[in-house]
Amino acid sequence: MNLGFVVGVFGVLILSHAAYSTIQYRGLLKIMEEEFSRPPMNVIVELIIGLALCMWAALTFPGKFLSIHPDSDENRAVSLPDNSEFMIFNHRGRLFPPQIDMKF
Amino acid sequence: MGSSEKRSKDLMSDIPTFSAENLQNNLKVIQNSRTFLSIIAGVLAGIIGFNGLTGFVFYFVVMLITSVGLMAKAGFSADLYFDSLNRVLFDGFLGGLMSFVLFWTFAYDLVHIF
Repeated sequence: MNLGFVVGVFGVLILSHAAYSTIQYRGLLKIMEEEFSRPPMNVIVELIIGLALCMWAALTFPGKFLSIHPDSDENRAVSLPDNSEFMIFNHRGRLFPPQIDMKF
Repeated sequence: MGSSEKRSKDLMSDIPTFSAENLQNNLKVIQNSRTFLSIIAGVLAGIIGFNGLTGFVFYFVVMLITSVGLMAKAGFSADLYFDSLNRVLFDGFLGGLMSFVLFWTFAYDLVHIF
C-alpha cells in the first residue's frame, strides 16, 4: 500500500532468506560433522539488515501519532456535540457580549 | 475587561482534559508496533539459535530499542501525544513476551531441529 508496508514485506523476505541460508549451513555442518555455534557472517549481516528494515516499517506503518491537546491547531472542529440539532441560540443569552475568543 | 480576559485564558488552558480518542489511537499504534517487533525478534532469536536466558536478554534489548524508536517518533516530547511517559516506554512489554517466545520456539524448530 504505502512505503512502510513494502519495506516491512522486504524485511520479512530478507529474514526468510537468512533462515533458509542457516538451514543449508546446518546441513553442511552435519556433513562435515562439526558443532553449530553461530550462523555464518553473511547470515548475521542479513539478519541485521532485515531487523533494521522491519524496525523502520514497524515504526512507520501502524500510523501517525495524533496530538491530544484540545486546543492545538489540528484538533479543531472535532468536538461538535451530537445533539447540535437540538440547540437553540435565540434565547435571552444572545444579549451578553462574547467573552471567550473562539477559534473558528 | 482585563479580569474577564484573564478568566478566559485560564479557561482555555486546562491541561487535564484531552482528546481521548486520539490518545486511544496513539496507544493502538504503539501496541501494533510492539507486537510486530516482538514477532520479528522471536524469529531472529530462533534463527540465530539462542538458548535459555540469552534469548530473553535479546528480547529486552529489542524492546529497549523499540522504546527509543517510539520516543523518536513522538519527537521526544511525550506530553503532546500521551498523558504519561510510562505508557510510551513500558506499555506492551509483557504482552509481546508471549508472542516472542512463541515465534522463537517456532523458528528454532524450523531452522535447527527439522
